[in-house]
Amino acid sequence: MRTGLSRAIVLAAAIVVVVGVFALTTIRPAGQAAQAGQPARPSRIEGKPNLNGVWQAMNTANWDLLAHDVKPAVAQQGVYANHPVLAAPVVALGSVGIVPPGPGVVEGNEIPYTAEAAAKKRENAEHWLDRDPEVRCYMPGIPRAMYMPYPFQITQSGSKIQMVFAYANASRTIYLQEAPKPPADMWMGHSVGHWDGNTLVVDVTDFNDRTWLSRAGDFHSDALKVVERFTPITPDALRYEVTLTDPNVYTRPWKMSMVLYRRLENDATLMDFRCVELVEETFLGHLRRNQLVKHWEGDTIVLDVTRRTPEGDKRYER
Amino acid sequence: MRTRARVFATIAATTAAIILVGAQTQTKVPRTAWGAPDLQGLWNTNTLVPLERNQQYGTRAQMTEEEHARALADLQQRNQRPGRDSREIAGKSGVGTEKDVARAYNEFWFGDKPTKLSYRTSMIIDPPNGRLPAYTPEATKRIADKREFLAALLQGTSGGRPGPISPRRKDSSPDYNLDRINRADGPEDRGGPERCLGDNLPVTMGTGTFGGVMQVVQSPDSVSVYYDVGQGQGFAWVIPITNRPHLPKNIQLYRGDAIGHWEGDTLVVDVTNFSDETNFRGSRQNLHLIQRFRRLDANTLQVEFTAEDPTTWMRPWTAVQELERADDKTTVVLEGGCHEGNYGLLGMLLNTRAAEKAFAEGKGPDPATQDNATGGGGDN
Amino acid sequence: MRIRFGVSATAIISAALVMSLAVIVGRVSAQRASVSAPVPASSSAPIRRQANGKPDFSGIWQANNSANWDVLTHEAMPARVMQTGVHQLSPVPAAPVLALGAVGGVPPGVGVVEGDVIPYKPEALQKKKDNFEHWLDRDPEIKCYQPGVPRAMYMPYPFQILQGTNKIMMVFEYANAQRTIHLDQVEPYPNDSWMGHSVGHWEGDTLVVDVTSQIDKTWFDRAGDFHSDALHVVERYRMMTPDAIWYEATIEDPNVFTRPWKMAMPLYRHLEPNAQLMDYRCIEMVEELLYGHLRKQPLVRTWEGQTMTVRVERKVPPPDVLYDR
Repeated sequence: MRTGLSRAIVLAAAIVVVVGVFALTTIRPAGQAAQAGQPARPSRIEGKPNLNGVWQAMNTANWDLLAHDVKPAVAQQGVYANHPVLAAPVVALGSVGIVPPGPGVVEGNEIPYTAEAAAKKRENAEHWLDRDPEVRCYMPGIPRAMYMPYPFQITQSGSKIQMVFAYANASRTIYLQEAPKPPADMWMGHSVGHWDGNTLVVDVTDFNDRTWLSRAGDFHSDALKVVERFTPITPDALRYEVTLTDPNVYTRPWKMSMVLYRRLENDATLMDFRCVELVEETFLGHLRRNQLVKHWEGDTIVLDVTRRTPEGDKRYER
Repeated sequence: MRTRARVFATIAATTAAIILVGAQTQTKVPRTAWGAPDLQGLWNTNTLVPLERNQQYGTRAQMTEEEHARALADLQQRNQRPGRDSREIAGKSGVGTEKDVARAYNEFWFGDKPTKLSYRTSMIIDPPNGRLPAYTPEATKRIADKREFLAALLQGTSGGRPGPISPRRKDSSPDYNLDRINRADGPEDRGGPERCLGDNLPVTMGTGTFGGVMQVVQSPDSVSVYYDVGQGQGFAWVIPITNRPHLPKNIQLYRGDAIGHWEGDTLVVDVTNFSDETNFRGSRQNLHLIQRFRRLDANTLQVEFTAEDPTTWMRPWTAVQELERADDKTTVVLEGGCHEGNYGLLGMLLNTRAAEKAFAEGKGPDPATQDNATGGGGDN
Repeated sequence: MRIRFGVSATAIISAALVMSLAVIVGRVSAQRASVSAPVPASSSAPIRRQANGKPDFSGIWQANNSANWDVLTHEAMPARVMQTGVHQLSPVPAAPVLALGAVGGVPPGVGVVEGDVIPYKPEALQKKKDNFEHWLDRDPEIKCYQPGVPRAMYMPYPFQILQGTNKIMMVFEYANAQRTIHLDQVEPYPNDSWMGHSVGHWEGDTLVVDVTSQIDKTWFDRAGDFHSDALHVVERYRMMTPDAIWYEATIEDPNVFTRPWKMAMPLYRHLEPNAQLMDYRCIEMVEELLYGHLRKQPLVRTWEGQTMTVRVERKVPPPDVLYDR
C-alpha cells in the first residue's frame, strides 16, 4: 500500500512538473501581441488604457487644418490668377515644395475667426515663412505638437503622463493628480488631466500667444483654452479630439478630430530633431558679419540670396 | 381544411416560382465572392456608335435592319478613303499638301478602323432627339470668345485668316487653356494633352485600337477604374461605396470627387468638385456627372451617364455606351508615363525659343507668322 | 517501478522533461531569431478575410516613417541641399531651401533596411554619393515622376488597395501612380515601365509579389539610392494586426548591389471616417522647374522675405543636360 501511495505521489509530481513547465513556457500574459522573446505589451496601466509608446499622426493638419487642394508651399501668381506656381524659395524643390491635399480635420470645416482675426490669419498665411514659429524651431504648443509630421513618445504612470516630441525636443507633462501652479504663460501650456472611463481628458491652459496651429497661419491669443480627449479605438490607434476656446480670436469654441497611430516597428525609437542649430542660418544669418549663404546653381536654376536687416520693430522680432 | 391546404400550396408554389425566376435572373449577372455584381475586367469597344443621332432617325433609339445594313455599308466605304488629311480639298487632291505632310505622323497611330456598327442610333438617349442640348448663352459666348482668341493667334499664318499679326498674341487666354493654340510662351500655352494633364474626361471610351481601355478592380467597399486612354492621358480613379458627403465645394479636383452606392444591381456614381482644368465637351468646373455601371452579361458592361451643368448646357443630357470584355492578351493595360517621357513639350518650347533667337539675329522667319497649331489648313 | 496502468513513472517524468526541454530550446531559438530578424509577431485579433479565406488587404494605407528621406538610419539635417557652414562638419541649408528653416529640415529616423547597410558595389556607391550631392537635379520625385516599387509604398501620402477577384489594384495619391498585381496568369509586360510588372501569389496568409520590368530611372529615397533596369523586387505582405500590414521588400540587382538586401516596415490603415485619396496633381506644380528656363518671359524671378531676398535666374544648359528629363 505504501508502494501504491509512493507511486501515486510520484505520478502526481510528474504531472505537476509537466504542467508547470508547460505553463511557464507557453502561456503568454494577456494583452497585446507578444513579440518573440520580449514581454507582451499590457493593454492597461493601473486600470487605464495603455498609452505608452511612440505615436504619430498621419495627416496634413500641420500644413492646413481645413480641407485643402494641392498648392505651392510658397506661392506666387502664375499665368492664371487662380493657379499659383512655386515661388522662388521653393521653385527648385519641385514636388517636394508642394503642400499635399487633405480632407481637413475641423468639424464643419470652418474655424470661426472674428472678422479681424480672419484678416490676420490671411496675412499670416501670406507671410508664412517670416512668421510661422515652426520655421524657427520654436516650440509648437498644443495641439500642434500632436500633429507635427514627426513622432512623439508617451510615458504613462498613474500620476503623470509625459509626452516627448521629436520636433524641437518639445515636451509636456500631463498631471493626473497633484498639479503645480504654472509659474507663467508657456509655449506648451499647462496640462491637467483626468480619466473619464476609457478617455483621457486633458485641460490645457496658460498658453502664451506665440504658437500657431498650422502652417496656414492659424493662430490664437494667450486666452486660449484647450480641452483634449484621447480615446483608444484599437490597441494601436487613438481618436484625438480637441476643443479650442479663445474669445479674443474665435466667435465660439470649435473642434478638430483626428487619429493618432502607434508606431509598430520593434525598434520604434524617438530620435532627436533638435532643430535649433539647423535654423540659425535662416533666422539669424542676416546678422552675420559676412553673409554665408549667397549662391546656388543647379542644372537650369541659379539662385542668389541677399540678406537684409529689417527696419524698426521688425528688427527685434523673434 | 382542403381549401386552406390548397391556398397554402398555391402560395408556396408561387413563392417558389418567384424565387426560382429571381435566382435565374440573378445568375445571369456574374457576381463577386461577396455577392455584388462583378464589374471587374478589361473593357473597351470595337463597335461604333455615334454620340449624337443623325437627324434622319428622329426620336428612334434603334435602327431597323435595313437602316443598319445601309449604315454599315457606308462605314465600310468610308474606311476605304485616304486619311483625313490627304483628302480632296475644293476639288484638288490633298496628298502632298503642307497639312498632309505635317500630320502624316498621325496616320500610323490610328490603327484598325472600326468595322462593327451598333444598332443604337446614338449614345445619347435623352433629349429624345438623341442630340446634345443647346449650349447656354454663357457657354456659347465662352466658346466663341475662345475661338476668336485661337483665330487671332493664327491670323496672318498659313493656317489662319489673312491679316497682320494680332496684338492679342500678348494676351492671356480667356479661359484656362486646354487647347493647342498657336503660341508657346510657356508650358501653359500648350494645352492639356501636350502637358500630359489629360484630354477630354474619358466618360465615354473611343472605338478601336486608339479608343483606350478601362480596367476595373473591385473590393467590397470601393471600385477602382484605371483608364488607359490616348498617349498616357488616362488616370486611376477610386470610387468609394459610401454615403458620406462630397468634399467641400472649394476643393476642385481634375477627376472630381466620386461617391458610389448600389441601387439594386447598378453602381450609381455621383461625381462633383471638378476643376477648371477638367474638360468634358465644354463643361468645366461646374460639371456634375452621374454614372450608372451595370454588368449586363458575361461580356458586356453598360455605362450610362447623365451630364449636368447649368452654366454650359440648357438641360441635362443622358447617354449610354455598352463596353465589351477584352482579354489581357490582345489588350494590354499600359501605364501612363506621359509626363515622364514628355520630350514633346520640352522640344516645343526649346524650338520656339531658338526660332525667336534666330529671327532676332536675322537668320529666320518670325515664328509669329507660322502656324504651329494646326499644321496648315486651319482646322484643329 | 510500474504503476497500475502499465506506464512507467520514469517514462512519464522523462517524457515531461524532454518535452519541457524542447519547448525551452524552442523559445531560446525564437529569441535568437528575434535579434537577427526583428519581425513583429501578429496580434491574435481576427483580420478581415475574403470569402475564399485569404486575408483582405483592401483599404486606405500609409507608411508612417521617414524612409522616403533615407531608407538607412539618419540623423536630423538642416536640409537635403546644403552648403559649407562656418565649420566643415556643420553644413547649413543652401539657397534653394534657406527660407524654409525647420520646414526644410530632414527629420531623423531609424532605417528600414535589415542590417542598416545597402550593399553597393564600389562604383555604385560613388554614384549614390553623387546622386545625393545633386539631389535637386536628379531625384525623379522632384519632377513628379512615378516613384516605382518599393518607393511608392512609403511615400508620405496615402494609397488605396483594392483586392478584387484575381487582381489587386493599388492607387497612390502621389502623382496618381498605380499598379496592378496580377494573381492570375498574364502575358509578360511588353516593355519596361516606371511602376513595373507585378505578379502575386499566396503563401498561406502572406501575399508574395514578384516585381520585374522596372526602368532604371526611379530612386529608393531622397538620399540618392538607385538601381538599374535589372532590378527585381520580391514583396511580402502580411497582416500584423487587423489595421497594420507588415511589408517586406527584397531588392536584387546584380548590376548595382553585391547581394540582395531587404527592407521592412509597417503600413497603417487610415481609420479616419473621412479618409480618402485626393488629387496630388503635381504636374502643373513642377512645370516651372522643368520648363521655366524655356519660357519666353521668366515667370518666377524674386521673392522678398523679412530678412532675405531670393533671386532666380534661369539658364539653358548644354545639350546633354538640356534634353535630360
